[in-house]
Amino acid sequence: MFAGTLIFALINSFILILLAIGFNLTFGISGVANFAYGALYIMSAYMSWTLLNLLHLPFWASAAISIVFTMIAGAVMYRFVLLRVRGQALSEVIATFGIGLSILELFRYMGLVGFEYTLPVFWNESFMIAGVYVDIQRIAVVVIGLMLVVGLWLFTHFTSTGLAFRGIAQDERTALTFGIDSDRMATLSVSFGAGLAAIAATIIIPLGSIAPNEGYDVLIKALAICIIGGLGSTGGVIVAGFIIGFAERFTDTYIGSHWTMIVSLAAILLVLAIKPSGLFGHQKELEERI
Amino acid sequence: MERKRLIIGVMLAVICVWSLGTQNVRAAEPIVIGVATSLGSLEGGESLKAVQMAVDEINAAGGVKVGGGTRPFKVESIDLRDSDPGVPVPEALLGLEKIILEKKPTALLVGPFRSEALTAGMDIIAKYKVPLLGTIAMSPASEAKIKADPQKYKYVFRTCLNAVHLVQFLSGTMAAINKQFGFNKVYIMTQDVAWARGTADLVKKLYFDKSGWEVLGMESYPTGASDFSSALMKARAQGVQVIMPVFDMPQSGTLVKQWNTMKVPAIMAGFISPLAGSEAWKIFDGTIGGVLNTTFELGSAMGASKLPASIDFMNKYQRKYGKEIQAGHGPAPSYESVYILKEAIERTGSLDPDAIVAGLEKTDRRGAMGRIRYDGVHQAVYGFDPAEMSVSLVSQWTDSGKRVVVFPDSLAENTIQLPAGLKSLK
Repeated sequence: MFAGTLIFALINSFILILLAIGFNLTFGISGVANFAYGALYIMSAYMSWTLLNLLHLPFWASAAISIVFTMIAGAVMYRFVLLRVRGQALSEVIATFGIGLSILELFRYMGLVGFEYTLPVFWNESFMIAGVYVDIQRIAVVVIGLMLVVGLWLFTHFTSTGLAFRGIAQDERTALTFGIDSDRMATLSVSFGAGLAAIAATIIIPLGSIAPNEGYDVLIKALAICIIGGLGSTGGVIVAGFIIGFAERFTDTYIGSHWTMIVSLAAILLVLAIKPSGLFGHQKELEERI
Repeated sequence: MERKRLIIGVMLAVICVWSLGTQNVRAAEPIVIGVATSLGSLEGGESLKAVQMAVDEINAAGGVKVGGGTRPFKVESIDLRDSDPGVPVPEALLGLEKIILEKKPTALLVGPFRSEALTAGMDIIAKYKVPLLGTIAMSPASEAKIKADPQKYKYVFRTCLNAVHLVQFLSGTMAAINKQFGFNKVYIMTQDVAWARGTADLVKKLYFDKSGWEVLGMESYPTGASDFSSALMKARAQGVQVIMPVFDMPQSGTLVKQWNTMKVPAIMAGFISPLAGSEAWKIFDGTIGGVLNTTFELGSAMGASKLPASIDFMNKYQRKYGKEIQAGHGPAPSYESVYILKEAIERTGSLDPDAIVAGLEKTDRRGAMGRIRYDGVHQAVYGFDPAEMSVSLVSQWTDSGKRVVVFPDSLAENTIQLPAGLKSLK
């Protein structure tokens, strides 16, 4: 059972990393805490569901269109709303939270609630690993999660846009002197963050269902992971994902499922008590945040 | 002069006609039914539709006879959102009070989704003296309150199944499994809410502990939990034969998916709300064959050919809304509650809340759920014979995607079948 718990803890960790990585990317580059993140996650899932079930498009096409649409929605949100309040942290939070709330409550008002709102699994098979059957969808979560983390690292280190992202993240004024358009980069960062939320939805939703409430849940999980890891730190997100992911599953197995939330919250409190900026947080220092 | 008289005459005639018209309008002033529940939930949403269907039928047939005339019903609703994780009880209670004060309903139907909200909301209902016919919240805590202070809480009735009656059906199903296959090792998994925990505790205390069963473990999950792998691994490691789930949240569908993909060698028998409706087979990609699920009230999500009224109700709903009922809890008692209220008002000829309560206490109706009567603490009486009481049913998903009634015997179409890969001990 220990091996099984390890496997499911690993999967849980990657689910949390996938949920948080987009939020973290946006904050790390533009400094915008995108509180509409959970709503964008759910919006992309509903869009995939609609394309798949009402327009009968293939799953992969539905997912691809939804991801692109969510990225555009993120960019539009920045250009037409956030740009006007850029730099005013509280206004940014209120604006994004308002947008997220509107999206989620609109879905609820439209009656998009029920067990039928889910996305199909990639392959409906499971394999025996260390004496435990694990389904392919969960294995895909780990594989795609790893690919995204590595891909993001390569992107931010070896592409001109990625290097511009890092430049803005390190020092916006200096980056401007090098001809980097900070507004364009911030637009792209919100857009990429939204795209990562959409990718996470495509992979994770097949394990459960789509519901407006999930949007709030995703936002809270992303916030918790980013705060523990240190806002803006990708390495922090990965470490925090593992801490909470393992704490949840091991509590579940060895203490009791109803203690899961308490132990997770205790882990958050403990980390913040020891290091208030989060494990890898450098908000008060002008250091690299990606 | 003539012209003046003519004008005055016309004005008087207009006033007379207007007055008569007003009287007619007043006579036809609708009786407001307030539906206050978690409308975003499947159970709440379909219950509201069932209430509207009954109201439309009653209005089309002339309305409710009261005070020497007839008056139509009118439905007003409010979303209490109490099924959502994280919505505190006081927020739901605000909604309950709001609909009472703003819409001034003669009675409330469906009521809070969570028992925690119902139990706390009983004081608001008592304060404003508005009869409530609850059809979703299930904890017997509300009956205990009525028993403790019947004069204060007499306005609260429950037409749906409660946790105590659910225990009868779950125990009966477990006894049938034990008798047919010799299984006696069970793992209990519940949602961490009052009615589900209460149900599981009662089944353990009243059945498993007294019948020689070994309860390998009891896990309760917070609403919204979506990973059940740890409990399934523990159950498997201990040689589980039966898994008894008790959940009413959408995420509980994940439990079935994980039970299937982790190939846990046990029969699943209990209550998982997403499995109640006919669409579950498609939603779960045909991976739920063999699962036994409880439909809380006959007619909600599933009827039985042995009680045609239950099938009629489901067909009427499908014709009206173009879709089958998918919620296994709520719609049938919500529909019946409108007729129960109509009969109570007509029985006493009054809209006075105390008179309505007296009328409701005399309820004896035969409908989609069987025979409906309330006991001394205003709970509809449930049993195994629809000719005598209201009934629940337990059905089993076949490998071809059909639901077959297996319990109680009065409605059963077949015996329980073991899922592929499991072997009987008998």
